[in-house]
Amino acid sequence: MKTKVLTANRLTDGISVWLGADGEWSVALKDAFLARHEDAVAAIEAAGKQALADNRVVDVNVIEIEETEHGPRPYRLRERIRAAGPTIDYVQAPASNVSHAA
Amino acid sequence: MTIVWTRDGIVENDPWMTAEGEAEAKLLALAEALEHAQDNAAFGVVLQPADDVRELAPLLDRVAIIALTFPAFSDGRAFSQATLLRDRLGYKGELRAVGNVLLDQVPLMLRTGFDSFEVDHAPTIERLTQKRLPGIDLHYQPATDTTLDGQSYSWRRTAVING
Amino acid sequence: MYRYDEFDHAFVAARVDQFRDQVERRLTGEISEDAFKPLRLMNGVYLQLHAYMLRVAVPYGTLNARQMRKLAHIARVYDRGYGHFTTRQNIQYNWPKLSDMPAILNELAEVEMHAIQTSGNCIRNVTADHFAGAAADEVADPRPYAEILRQWSSVHPEFSFLPRKFKIAVTASERDRAAIQVHDIGLQLKKDDQGRLGFAVWIGGGQGRTPILAKKIRDFLPEADLLSFTTAIMRVYNLHGRRDNKYKARIKILVHETGVEQLSREIEAEWAHLKDGELKLPEADIAAINAYFAPPEFGSRAEGWGELAAWKKSDPGFADWVGRNVAPHRHPDYAMVTISLKPIGGIPGDATAEQMDAVARLAEEFGHDEIRVTHEQNLVLPHVALADLEPLYRALLADGLATANSGLITDIIACPGLDYCALANARSIPVAQEISNRFGDPARQAEIGDLKIKISGCINACGHHHVGHIGILGVEKKGAELYQISLGGSADENASIGQITGRGFEPDQITDAIETIVDTYLAERTGPEEAFIECYRRIGADPFKAALYNSEAAAA
Repeated sequence: MKTKVLTANRLTDGISVWLGADGEWSVALKDAFLARHEDAVAAIEAAGKQALADNRVVDVNVIEIEETEHGPRPYRLRERIRAAGPTIDYVQAPASNVSHAA
Repeated sequence: MTIVWTRDGIVENDPWMTAEGEAEAKLLALAEALEHAQDNAAFGVVLQPADDVRELAPLLDRVAIIALTFPAFSDGRAFSQATLLRDRLGYKGELRAVGNVLLDQVPLMLRTGFDSFEVDHAPTIERLTQKRLPGIDLHYQPATDTTLDGQSYSWRRTAVING
Repeated sequence: MYRYDEFDHAFVAARVDQFRDQVERRLTGEISEDAFKPLRLMNGVYLQLHAYMLRVAVPYGTLNARQMRKLAHIARVYDRGYGHFTTRQNIQYNWPKLSDMPAILNELAEVEMHAIQTSGNCIRNVTADHFAGAAADEVADPRPYAEILRQWSSVHPEFSFLPRKFKIAVTASERDRAAIQVHDIGLQLKKDDQGRLGFAVWIGGGQGRTPILAKKIRDFLPEADLLSFTTAIMRVYNLHGRRDNKYKARIKILVHETGVEQLSREIEAEWAHLKDGELKLPEADIAAINAYFAPPEFGSRAEGWGELAAWKKSDPGFADWVGRNVAPHRHPDYAMVTISLKPIGGIPGDATAEQMDAVARLAEEFGHDEIRVTHEQNLVLPHVALADLEPLYRALLADGLATANSGLITDIIACPGLDYCALANARSIPVAQEISNRFGDPARQAEIGDLKIKISGCINACGHHHVGHIGILGVEKKGAELYQISLGGSADENASIGQITGRGFEPDQITDAIETIVDTYLAERTGPEEAFIECYRRIGADPFKAALYNSEAAAA
């Protein structure tokens, strides 16, 4: 069975979060509780349902991750981008790209 | 708990609501209603979103109540059905919203001609009881409801505030 | 431009209060996410990959300096210092908090802006030609009608829960700068042979999973019938549009499945009941709205002619920019200026708060306080005196806003894609950046000429890839990104849907593939006067396919 973690977005600010071992939601994937067995997966699913009902988070999902030496790495590109943030340098410095003639 | 609400408040002993435990529905589906055209007794009809309201035209004087269905709150066909019943067919009787009736759609339903609502969503019942509707009294378009002129452009209206 | 009256101010204030109440009820759990979602969407609030996203309406792409400054302020205070201008002339913020939304909406209301109906299954922002009011070829300014439609469609009780979103675009010349043929309703303002104003009406255009060009159902609809006729279309759609399948719910599918003649008959039959009713537009109302769009006083600035010639001679960079980004105005001493939000290697359509403030300042100083957003994710100052072009250019240069690439290969349209969007399958921005860098050399761009590349990160086609001369669609295949290329799309009056070339390309191959296409065009064209789209229409897809796929086999 692939290791799983629970992810969601915080209701108040929409920020992506992952469920930690302490039952708290962290903005860092590396803090996620790793569910390696059926029982653990059932537990995180239950925690997710509860957090949804408690209006702490929205869009709760169980996702599969690979345990690497650098920490958990989601299999899906989409989840890797959720964890790492946009892959582009999204705040451009002004005047950094100036038009010039041939 | 399911209630029926109108602008006058919760309706006690509503004759058309199917209470829990009751086997027989009080409202007829369209096909059944058309068959009952021969009877003299007043009857109630419940339409589904795909029904053509114009089929009721010959029966309107005998219909005591028409209910229009919102199977999901996202299914907005009944808003057009209500508009046609009121504006096109001139229906003056009770027009009820049934199905998924939520607080935030009620102001829109009132504007399209609904005057009673069957509700089972507890927070909606709470707010309706308090008469705290989330509607906006300034309208950018005419609708079925009776309004005042918006006092500027021809398409604007203002709600009649009757307390 | 339109100015709110007391009614508008009161309405928007009430709307903000309404949404504040809804947010509070959501935060306390009184309403579930399921019930809240359509409500927040109707206020422009999405949930994306990393955070919420707020889409603010820029009605028909028009705003003034004060409003632009407010947009900058919101970026700065409530977001991460930037915003993204979209293919529907709106602006998006990528990091606002739900709990801040009421405050943000309050701030927007102060400058007569809002986020009403920028999402959800309702009538969306009515878009218009970004050169409206300035272009020499328009019959009249189409924006008053867009404003009338905007008002009328706001919180319309009958049409707030449509089968799907509904998009209307308006133009006023034979040249279509608003892509009306890929809208649910497209309107072209025109005159009949007695000089009276009315519209040619198209319905059923759209992109997404099933790109279809709109069908014309009316050659001339008198202007007074605009609202009643639109009501007829909306009512037929609301009642009969499919509700069983989200991907088959747009009016384009209804047109396709019913047949345009049949559907048109149903619309006309409904309209027959409405045409002489309360929705008929009085001349006085049209005139009153029109009055808001009266053009500014264009004083004679004839000195600009000589000055312009001299500046161009002394500064090739300026000459380049004038050649590409400056278009003739109906007043001979003025011009329409495109401010490129596509710096080489940059993120298409993004602007920092500082850049927004700069544009606001320049609009006041040189632009008669009017700014436009285009559906190609650039900004426009539609009224600039020729005599002011050089100081404007200097200022734009300093803020990274003077890239001379309007309509060129680096003027790429790209959706936010998988870097931001929860719907996406692949990233689009890095692809745009790589292509932009590859072709960044101004001489090379000039050689290639007019070429519109449009990139979408998923089938929803927010990047309008179906109508790109070169369209790129990002898909997910076996967990990895793959890019499909289509050729020959166009969003103007000669609209066409692009044709897929064949097998897709991996991220490290896509830019080479674009280069192959460009090289094929350069080799095959009759000369520089034959633009890419014309060349493609003349020679067809085969030479491009051969270059893309056969040469790969040969090189392997």
